[in-house]
Amino acid sequence: MSGLLRAVLLRAAAFLATVVGAAVIVQLLLWAAPGDPIDLLPNGDELRPVLEVEWGLDLPVPLRIARWLGHAARGDLGTSLSVRPGASVLELLGGSVGSSALLLLGAMVAGMGGGLALAALTARGRGLARAVVQVLSVPPVFLMAYLAVVGINATVWALVQAGHIAPPSWFALPAEPSAVRTALAVCVLAFGSGALGEIHVACEQELQRLRQAPFVTAARARGAPVAGLLFRNLAPSLLSLAAARLPLLLGGLVVLERVLLLDGAGSLLWQACTQRDAPLAMGIAVCAASLVAAGGLLADLLRLWIDPRLRRPA
Amino acid sequence: MQSILRIRPVGLALALAVTSAPAAADPLRYAEDQAPGIVNPLFTSTMSEARLGELVFEGLYTDDLDLRTAPDLAESAELSVDRTELVIRLRKDVSWHDGEPFTADDVVFTIQAMKDQGTASTEAGRVAWIDSAEVVDSHTVRLRFGRPEASPEDKLFFKILPKHRFDGTAVKRTDPFRNKPVGTGPFALDRYNDDGSITLRRYEQHRDAAGLPEIVMREVSDKNYQAKLLLYESLEALVRVLPRDLAMLDKDRGVELYPYQTNSWWYLGFNLNGGPWADPRVRQAIGHMVDKEALLAPIGTGDTVTGPFVPSSPFYNHEVKARAVSAGQASALLEEAGYKKVEGVWTRAGKPLTLRISAHKSLESAQEVVINLQSQLQRQGLTVEVDFMDEASWRGKVWRDRDFDVVLSQWSFDRNEDVREQFHSQGSRNFTGYASAETDKLLDEARDAIDPQQKKAALRKLHAQVHDDAPMVFLWTLDSYSAMRTRVDDVVVHPFYFFTWADDWTLD
Repeated sequence: MSGLLRAVLLRAAAFLATVVGAAVIVQLLLWAAPGDPIDLLPNGDELRPVLEVEWGLDLPVPLRIARWLGHAARGDLGTSLSVRPGASVLELLGGSVGSSALLLLGAMVAGMGGGLALAALTARGRGLARAVVQVLSVPPVFLMAYLAVVGINATVWALVQAGHIAPPSWFALPAEPSAVRTALAVCVLAFGSGALGEIHVACEQELQRLRQAPFVTAARARGAPVAGLLFRNLAPSLLSLAAARLPLLLGGLVVLERVLLLDGAGSLLWQACTQRDAPLAMGIAVCAASLVAAGGLLADLLRLWIDPRLRRPA
Repeated sequence: MQSILRIRPVGLALALAVTSAPAAADPLRYAEDQAPGIVNPLFTSTMSEARLGELVFEGLYTDDLDLRTAPDLAESAELSVDRTELVIRLRKDVSWHDGEPFTADDVVFTIQAMKDQGTASTEAGRVAWIDSAEVVDSHTVRLRFGRPEASPEDKLFFKILPKHRFDGTAVKRTDPFRNKPVGTGPFALDRYNDDGSITLRRYEQHRDAAGLPEIVMREVSDKNYQAKLLLYESLEALVRVLPRDLAMLDKDRGVELYPYQTNSWWYLGFNLNGGPWADPRVRQAIGHMVDKEALLAPIGTGDTVTGPFVPSSPFYNHEVKARAVSAGQASALLEEAGYKKVEGVWTRAGKPLTLRISAHKSLESAQEVVINLQSQLQRQGLTVEVDFMDEASWRGKVWRDRDFDVVLSQWSFDRNEDVREQFHSQGSRNFTGYASAETDKLLDEARDAIDPQQKKAALRKLHAQVHDDAPMVFLWTLDSYSAMRTRVDDVVVHPFYFFTWADDWTLD
C-alpha cells in the first residue's frame, strides 16, 4: 500500500513538474524572442505605457510566471492578448482542444492498429509491404499533407472538368471542413509523424521474437490458439511505444493544422507564438503537457492491467 | 490486385460525388491570410480587420468611385471662414444593426473614445487634429480644430461606433463589442462558424441595401492555396493575387482579374542611427549598385520610382532622375567616403562593408528580391547577410530597437498619401532615423497649405529632397490585381479597403 501511495505521489509530482515546466519554458521562449504583443499594434510605442501595465508586461519574467501559475491554480488561464484580444483562454481552448484531441486519438489508433496489422503481415517476410510502409513514413508531415491536398484536388478537378462528377461537398481541400479532410489529417499524422512506421518495425521485431519463444512453441504444440497470447505479450511494449510517440504526434499536429487549415489547438499555438500571446501559448502548452503526462500514466496503468508480472513486487 | 488498381474514373466519380456543391444563391466567399482578431474599429491593427470593418461600419465620409471624398453618414458640412470649425449635418435615415437610430451622440462618442487615453486606440492618430467635438442637435455635430484645415472632410473617414453599446469613452479591447460588433454598414456580422470563418449577412434596413445576401470571410493562411481555391470554385473573391498566380488565373474563363492602382511602393530603408549608413555617400553608392528593373522583373510588373510617391500621384516629381546603375559612380562615392576595395571587397580601417538586409516574412516575393539583391551587391564587393522576420520580431527589432542595417519593405497609403510620419524628424513611423530640416519644413508647408497647388509644389520638392538625401532606395510600385469568379458582377474594388463599394456587387 505504501509502495502504491509512493508511486501515485511520484506520478503526481511528475505531472505537476511537466505542467509547470511547460508553462515556464513557453514564457521564457516568448520573452527571449524579439518583439512583444504591443509591438504588433500600429502605434504600439504610444500605447506601450498603458498596455504594459494592463497586460502585466512591466513585471519581471519570474513574477509574470508566478502570477500566471497562481491564477492558473485557481482555474483562471487569463485572456488572449493578440490572437483573439480579450477572449478567455479557457474558452479558446474549449473551442479547439476537442478537435485536436480527436485527431491525436485517431492518429494514435491508426498508428497502433495499422502498425500492428502491418507487422502481422510483414513479420512473415513480406519485404515489399515493409518497404512501402517505411518509404511512406519518410516525408515530414507538412510535405505529405501538402502533396496529398494538391494531388487530391488536381485529380478531383480533372474529373469535374471532364464531366465525370459534380464537385463533391468537401471539395476543394483544405478549405471545406469535412470528414474527408479529417480522415486525411489522421492518416497524414499517423504516417508523417513516423508513428505508424516505428510501431510497425517495433511490433514486427517483437512478433518475430515472440513466435520463437518457448511458451508460444509449447502452446502451438498443444494446439492452443496463439493470437491472444501474442497480443497479450505484445501489448505492454506497444503501449510504451505509443506513449513515447505522443509528444512527437503533438509536434506534428501543430504543423498539420496549419497546412490543412484546421481550427485546432495546434494552429492556435502557432498563432499565439508568432503573435507573442503568452497567456494563450502557456494555456495550450499546459494542456499539451497534461495530455502527454496523462497519456504516460494511462499507458502505465494499462500495462499493469494487461501484464500481471508487472504488478509483482521486485 | 490488378482489378483494384484499375478503377475507372466514373466509378471513382461516384465514390467522390457524395453531394454536389451548391451553385446558386451562395454567399460570396473571400480569403484572408489571417482572420481578424478583433472587430472593433478602435483597435484595428491588420488589413483583414480593416476590410471587415469596411463592410460592417461606416464613416462620416467615404470615397466615391472616382476616389473623391463623398458624404456617407454625413449629409452636408459647413467649414468656418477661418477653417478651424466644421459643422456637419448627419443623415436621418440611418439605423444601427440592432435597430437603434444613429445620432450625433454616436459621432461625438466615437471621437472622444478614440482620443481617450484609457482606450489606447490604435486609431487615435486619426482624430489627433480635432480639438473638440460637440453635439449641436440630434443630427448635427460641431468639430473644432487646432489649426486651419484645408479639407477636413478628407480626414473624416474613420468608422463611427454606437454610443449605446458602451459604458463610457474609455473602451477596453476586451469589451464584448470586439466579437459582437454593431455598425451601420451594409453588412452585419451574423456568426463565427466552427471552421473559423465569419459570416456577414446583408443588413436589410440599410438605406442602400447590398446586392449580395451573405459574405463569408475564410482564413486561408497559406497563400499558395488561395488562387487554387478560387480556381476550384471554393472561393468567389481573392483580395490580392500573387504575381506568380496571374497567368494561371488569367487562363481560366471562370475567373476575372481586376487590376487596381495602389499607393504602395517598395523601398530599401537604411538605419541612419549610426554606422556606415549614416553617411549619405554610402547610401547613394548603394543606390547606384541596385538594378531595380532586374529585381522587379522576376516578381511581377510595375513602375520603378525615384521618391516616396507612385508615378500616378500628383505629388510625384517626374523631373527627378533615377540613379544610374553604375559601378563606377558607386566606387567613386565609396572612395570619397573613405572605403577601399581590397581583394574585391569594400573595406574601411580593415573592416569589410557588411550589409544585413532585413525583410518581413509575409512580404510577398521578398525572398526572391532579397536573394537577387544579395547577389547584385556581393558582385560589387559588399558582404551581405539576410534576416527574415515574423511580425513581432520585425516590430521589436526594426521599429523599437532599431537593430538593422537596411530593411526591404513597402509603404501603403490611402489616397491622401500623407508621408509626414515616415519622413518628418519627429514622425512616428520614421524608424530609419532620417532627420532633415529642409524636409521637415516642406512637410510642415504641405500640412498647412490651404491651396492644393501649394501642397503639390511642396511635396514635389520633398520628393527631390529625399531622393538626394537617400534615406531609402526607392524601388517600385507593383501592379496589383484582385480576382473574382465571373459569377460576381458589378465589381469595382477599392485599391486600399477592397470592400468600400461591395454593396453594389451581385452574385449570379
